[in-house]
Amino acid sequence: MVLMTVRLPRDATLAAAARKLGLSEDDVDAGYGLVPLDPATGLYGVRVSDEAARRVRPEALTEEGEGVHADPRIEPFGPPRPGT
Amino acid sequence: MIQLRPEPDVVAAVADPEVTTSASDVADRLPGVVLDESFPPIAVPRPVPRGGDPLSLRRVAFSMAPQDATVLVRGEIGDDEITTRTALLPVAHRQVAGVFADPVIAPGLVCAGDPPVGDWQRVAELLDTAGLRAEGCDGSGVPLAILDTGINLAHLREVLGREVRLDAERSLVPEGVSERPGEAWVDHGTMCAFDALIAAPNATLLDLPVLLSQRPGGSAIDGLLSDAVAAFAHLRTVLEAMPEESRALVVSNSWGSFSPRWDFPVGHPGNYSDNPAHPFNIIVGSLEQAGADVLFAAGNCGRDCPDGRCAFPERPIVGANSHGQVISVGGVDVEGKRVGYSSQGPGRLSDQKPDLCAYTHFSGSQVYGPDSPDSGTSAACPVAAGVVAAIRTRWPASRLSPAELRTLLQRTADDRSDIGFDYDYGYGILNPPAVLAALRRLEARRV
Repeated sequence: MVLMTVRLPRDATLAAAARKLGLSEDDVDAGYGLVPLDPATGLYGVRVSDEAARRVRPEALTEEGEGVHADPRIEPFGPPRPGT
Repeated sequence: MIQLRPEPDVVAAVADPEVTTSASDVADRLPGVVLDESFPPIAVPRPVPRGGDPLSLRRVAFSMAPQDATVLVRGEIGDDEITTRTALLPVAHRQVAGVFADPVIAPGLVCAGDPPVGDWQRVAELLDTAGLRAEGCDGSGVPLAILDTGINLAHLREVLGREVRLDAERSLVPEGVSERPGEAWVDHGTMCAFDALIAAPNATLLDLPVLLSQRPGGSAIDGLLSDAVAAFAHLRTVLEAMPEESRALVVSNSWGSFSPRWDFPVGHPGNYSDNPAHPFNIIVGSLEQAGADVLFAAGNCGRDCPDGRCAFPERPIVGANSHGQVISVGGVDVEGKRVGYSSQGPGRLSDQKPDLCAYTHFSGSQVYGPDSPDSGTSAACPVAAGVVAAIRTRWPASRLSPAELRTLLQRTADDRSDIGFDYDYGYGILNPPAVLAALRRLEARRV
């Protein structure tokens, strides 16, 4: 999975995000939904599979802040496990 | 320590693991010396030149032959006789080859697997929680968000023997997580909640179990950064719904990324570890700007004994854990020494990380069993978050912005190691009495 950022009008929907990215609604993670990252500037986040992200055409992501971002695994910092 | 050169048969007996010898078998009648019979004599090999060249200093072998080896015993000499006895012993007794100091040696830095150092009551003393309470700083009315593996309220109540506040409505249940807020398995998140309550016993916990991933291939306690993005977006709505004059929110994050393998390469526009433009790093900054105090554990990748999962070869404080608008927390034991696994700076997003240190590796929540410590910078971070929540009881963000409080915490920290900031301790160990004193001065100036 990757995290995609996209600019949309206020109160946008997940379907609108999928349309802007040129993806179907099945391509975006409906459970994750459309997460407002910066509502004041209309920046949202959606989670899509690596394969779907590859199908997004560059011309769909032209506004500042839009793009494909890493969605790395995160883990708790304790208790530490002995190192090598 | 007294080095003796007894008869070869005595040396042979000491060197023989099948034979039991005592100090008095080796060293009889050493005036002024009280031999330590509990310390078994030890045979020490003699350096001898290799290849028959007595002047060679390069090629030395060690001989345990009875005619070469010596024997060490331990004894006590009165402080007022040290100089005389150490000078006279080798002269008066032909078997005495030398008398050596036996200084106290300090234990090494705390590492994974070491037993607890002190307990949470000692941590409360060091934080002067009584002083915080006397100033009305106990976390009352302050939401304290624990982004982790979920909180088990029943365990907290049992260990603490009192009621604990949790706001289920303002908590968050991520997609795929079946447990309701406060009903998670007893695990890492419950430890973090316990440690946050040391300084802020009346804070209101918000439970955001972002590390309970249900994705295929994931373990029981890890998650994706996008889950944390969603949690931070939720917290922004929580913060904005609060009246501006009493707005306060403390966010404790005892997690991070251990490996660059799951990230995009450094330099890629979508990279997380080194990229302030990553959506998570943006939303962290925006939440702080809106009035939240955001704390992150520095990580467990200290040079002395790093966690086995650490895969950043250098500069392991990555991504939001090194964000300029968060308080990055390293770990010290209750003796004030950095635990060996606490990550050192510089950070990747901000050079001067960690910001400060708080206590860890103490007996506390009993989440991992009665003899296991609350450990990792995972414990240090919520300890610090509790102090911040306690301060927010009286000083909401409208009176003291997160940036001002962060600076105050840095300025008042108990400086360690080098003067001023250093990459081991940051600005030093969190020092609540000094913070309160500074706030009193600030208040007096404003009046």
